[in-house]
Amino acid sequence: MNHMPRLRIGKFEARVPIIQGGMGVQISLSGLASAVAKEGGIGVIASVGIGQRDNEVITDYVSAHKQAIIDELRKAREKTDGIIGVNIMVALTDFDQHIEGAVEGGADIVFMGAGLPRKLPESIGDINKLHTEFVPIVSSVRAISIIFKYWARKYNYTPPAVVVEGPLAGGHLGFKREQIDQPDYQLENLIPQVIEAIEPFKQSSGRDIAIIAAGGIFSGADIYKFLQSGVQGVQMATRFVATHECDAHIKFKEAHVNCTKDDLIIINSPVCIPGRAIRSPFLDEVEAGNEVPYECPYKCLITCDVVNAPYCIALALLQAKRGNIDEGYAFAGANAWRTKEIVSVKELIDSLQREYSEAVDAAGQ
Amino acid sequence: MTIEERVKKVVEDQLSVNQDQIIPEASFIDDLGADSLDTVELVMALEEEFGVEIPDDEAEKITKVGAAIEYIKAHVTE
Repeated sequence: MNHMPRLRIGKFEARVPIIQGGMGVQISLSGLASAVAKEGGIGVIASVGIGQRDNEVITDYVSAHKQAIIDELRKAREKTDGIIGVNIMVALTDFDQHIEGAVEGGADIVFMGAGLPRKLPESIGDINKLHTEFVPIVSSVRAISIIFKYWARKYNYTPPAVVVEGPLAGGHLGFKREQIDQPDYQLENLIPQVIEAIEPFKQSSGRDIAIIAAGGIFSGADIYKFLQSGVQGVQMATRFVATHECDAHIKFKEAHVNCTKDDLIIINSPVCIPGRAIRSPFLDEVEAGNEVPYECPYKCLITCDVVNAPYCIALALLQAKRGNIDEGYAFAGANAWRTKEIVSVKELIDSLQREYSEAVDAAGQ
Repeated sequence: MTIEERVKKVVEDQLSVNQDQIIPEASFIDDLGADSLDTVELVMALEEEFGVEIPDDEAEKITKVGAAIEYIKAHVTE
């Protein structure tokens, strides 16, 4: 067996170079994250909408979210001493409190995407002294330069890794609609530019910066291919939906397993960013121009156009997570249609390892 | 060079636009073709040129050439 290499991110070292991508709303919580961490990968809890528990009316959204992050981290810790991260969207209205929750809850790594991560709350103090490492998720080379320059200047901190997410990812994408199918923007073509852009920051900081490829990575052979291209790890999310440990309802997982290639569509999300999702009656209604009335108790995303949004995306995603697929929809990556069955996280990672090893052997012949 | 000239030079270099387009009323995004990343880079370039730190809430208000000039004039001595 040719073992996959380990992945070092700052002070943490994962046994397998796989980060389970954060999936909101409430698709990756402590259940999935701890299972991935247990198997040697990096498990990630998604913080968006985490405070909305079943049958509970929230009076204070900000403190509910922060407390839920701390609670989920504690639950994950009770199950494993592996590496646990939290994915926090920069576009969140209460981004600062989510960061505070992750730091207070002892997250190993905070992954920040859905916007350009810059300012961190002063309340967490000098980030160089924290247990928690901070890693940006980007979809362009320009964003990398800006983030690394800004963080070096303001915080004297160099992120120990960067996740590069290509246009085959699920959920919200960091690309304009017309860029999604263009060759220039595909992950394979972004990686060499990222490697080049990261080099000066490695030199100036003296720190290793791991590059993580993300978006559409499906098999162990894919992992081999990307590691060969010069990255140190991969982030995979969609594959982990179809696992017993994933925190979503069985119907959400079945929506992934049963979808066809044609069911995977690009939607214009109410937060004004394109996203990839599985076609559903709900989305057909929205596409036909029908609105789904809602009351917005808390504008959770800065980028949400609450006045014109035809429906509440947080509610639609939460309904799908709870198994009410017809009242919402599931986000999914471009390769979700290749998912055929629900397995355990261990079975999934073992199969990825096996495929990786076969790819190494095949390349050696 | 005056502060005004130096600010305009930074804008010219960052956004690759012609000198004559850089008038105080010009909006970076609407008139000079900047995207959201450009505006962040521009603020960082101004900070570098003038050795000042522009807080994010102030930076958000700098949407036009004139606002940039005014901000720098108020915080830097010529």
